[in-house]
Amino acid sequence: MRERIRAIFLGGGGIHTALAIIIVLATAFVPEFRHPDNIVNVLNQSATLAVLAIGQTFVIAAGLIDLSVGQLMSLVAVLISDLMAGRSALALPAFCLGIAVGTSIGLVNGVLLNILRIHPLILTFGMLSVLQGITFLYTDRSIGQVSPEFLRVASGSFAGIPFSLVIVIVLASTAHGALQRTRFGWHLQAVGANEENARRAGINTRGIKLVAYGISGLSAGLAGMLLAGRLGTGYPNAGSGFELDAIVAVVLGGTSLAGGRATIPGTLAAVLILAIASNMLNLLEVPAFGQMVVKGFIVIAAILLTQRRAAAV
Amino acid sequence: MKHVALDLNFGRRMLQEHAVWFVLLLLLAVAALVSSAFLRPSYLLNTLRQAAPVGITAIGVTLVMILRGVDLSVGAVISLAAVLCAVLMDGQAHNIAPAIALTCIAGAAIGLANGLLVAFNRISPFILTLGTAIIVYGLTQIQSGGTARGIVAPGFREFLNGRIGGVLPVLSLALILMALLGIFLQSTTRFGRSLYLIGSNPDAAELSGVPIRRVMVLAYTLSGFCAALGGIALLARTGVSSTYAGRGYEFDVLAAVVLGGTTFAGGRGGVGGTIAAVLVLFIAFNLVSLAGLQFPAQLLVKGAIIIVASAAYEAIKR
Repeated sequence: MRERIRAIFLGGGGIHTALAIIIVLATAFVPEFRHPDNIVNVLNQSATLAVLAIGQTFVIAAGLIDLSVGQLMSLVAVLISDLMAGRSALALPAFCLGIAVGTSIGLVNGVLLNILRIHPLILTFGMLSVLQGITFLYTDRSIGQVSPEFLRVASGSFAGIPFSLVIVIVLASTAHGALQRTRFGWHLQAVGANEENARRAGINTRGIKLVAYGISGLSAGLAGMLLAGRLGTGYPNAGSGFELDAIVAVVLGGTSLAGGRATIPGTLAAVLILAIASNMLNLLEVPAFGQMVVKGFIVIAAILLTQRRAAAV
Repeated sequence: MKHVALDLNFGRRMLQEHAVWFVLLLLLAVAALVSSAFLRPSYLLNTLRQAAPVGITAIGVTLVMILRGVDLSVGAVISLAAVLCAVLMDGQAHNIAPAIALTCIAGAAIGLANGLLVAFNRISPFILTLGTAIIVYGLTQIQSGGTARGIVAPGFREFLNGRIGGVLPVLSLALILMALLGIFLQSTTRFGRSLYLIGSNPDAAELSGVPIRRVMVLAYTLSGFCAALGGIALLARTGVSSTYAGRGYEFDVLAAVVLGGTTFAGGRGGVGGTIAAVLVLFIAFNLVSLAGLQFPAQLLVKGAIIIVASAAYEAIKR
């Protein structure tokens, strides 16, 4: 009976139940939460992590991991802000630069993984350090300024709908479709479930892993630009720590850390839970340190409820 | 003929399991070309001293990873230990011993919590220990109030940074003793054998009567304990007791453990390889700073070294 109740509330869709509960709690007990401005704010704030976590879902589903994305966000934010220096004319070139830098660093990760065959955690940790070095060689303080377009996309809304929400929805539906409805998505999850079997079944496992890292890098590029848009400038530590939040969100959402199973809706629900929890605690004026403790307990409680099964590392 | 084949296999296995020692020798050879000072015993002892915080922490994480676990909370525990130890000492020499003891107990308690949660729920230790890390950072912040707090007692740093008989640095000795203790635990005790059994095949281990929960809890507790010692060593080396003193150390430690031959799949590797890997990383960092590079360039080269050393290790193993 206990198992059945758990299955109904917390089985596959457990994270969505948890999201519903936290929304009800927030609306019932925190009056300011209901204010439309606040809801727009929550959505805008969570967009950066959402974009990053969508990319991380691909690598984790393929049985890989990408620790380099947080620092990659910082590098992209610094580069595009420095290029634009507040000029609208350079917004489009800066956007292209952000996409190009993000995607190519992601592909470098993929190529190195395929050639050197070292553990993805170690490889991308090494890359994190390399990117940190490059970013701080470029600048050790905030640099440049984003154009008004970037500010508007990151924080503005049209007819009550935040632009960043539209971006997240478009990216998430594309990603969901790619994972669940295309050959690439099935192959990706097959590689994550058992690479050797996938290879013997004729799947181009190296190609799949390369593309997965490319997608992760692209998402880090986009997230870095959103973050720069929110901050208004290129801060070399802007993305620090985002990689761990993204991994937490992906795994809480129900994508297996051992690979082989991916869920974009789950990832988004987990991102929203983290964002709403932190917004609630802000509105309740809990000090920042207390918030960290609460956030940690939320993460542990959520995995105890959703991940209760024999899990690999 | 059969004997020859057996010997070949044996040699190959030796090479595979101890690949990191060859990487270490290779690196020492390169370093010796740069300066003969790298081959002096005093240099190696000094490197061990530098490596003490990462090395001591890595010993505990190695034990956890042998049984197919992982502990990402060690960076947070290092920070907590540095702050807690400084706060407890409060600048008084007679507080040193109780402060060190209480700090170790706190670290072990966090490890115990990790161990109980992993052992009795079978959840992913990767995410669980990330969650614990967030909580521990929060607690450290509350305790420190966000700034560097606590006063290191006189004599604390002097003793731990001193040399016994003017030769052997105390922190190097601490690392060597902890490594010997780790090797003793892993290779001669029932606990150590159980680690390898669980790591190779948890189900088989359970069926054959290994008390896997007890072993897991003990391993995570030791990991928390070692991380607390690592934090105390860091406090002795730097004197800094800020909330994020140990931030990022978990990945340095992980890089060392994996490079040392203890894989994420568990069941193999050991403390010896981890110590060799720690030496590889720190000798490489020393080479980089000897070249007179700025800090950002050092970060860049550090990343490259981690990637290249792991690649060399994989190549030798194959």
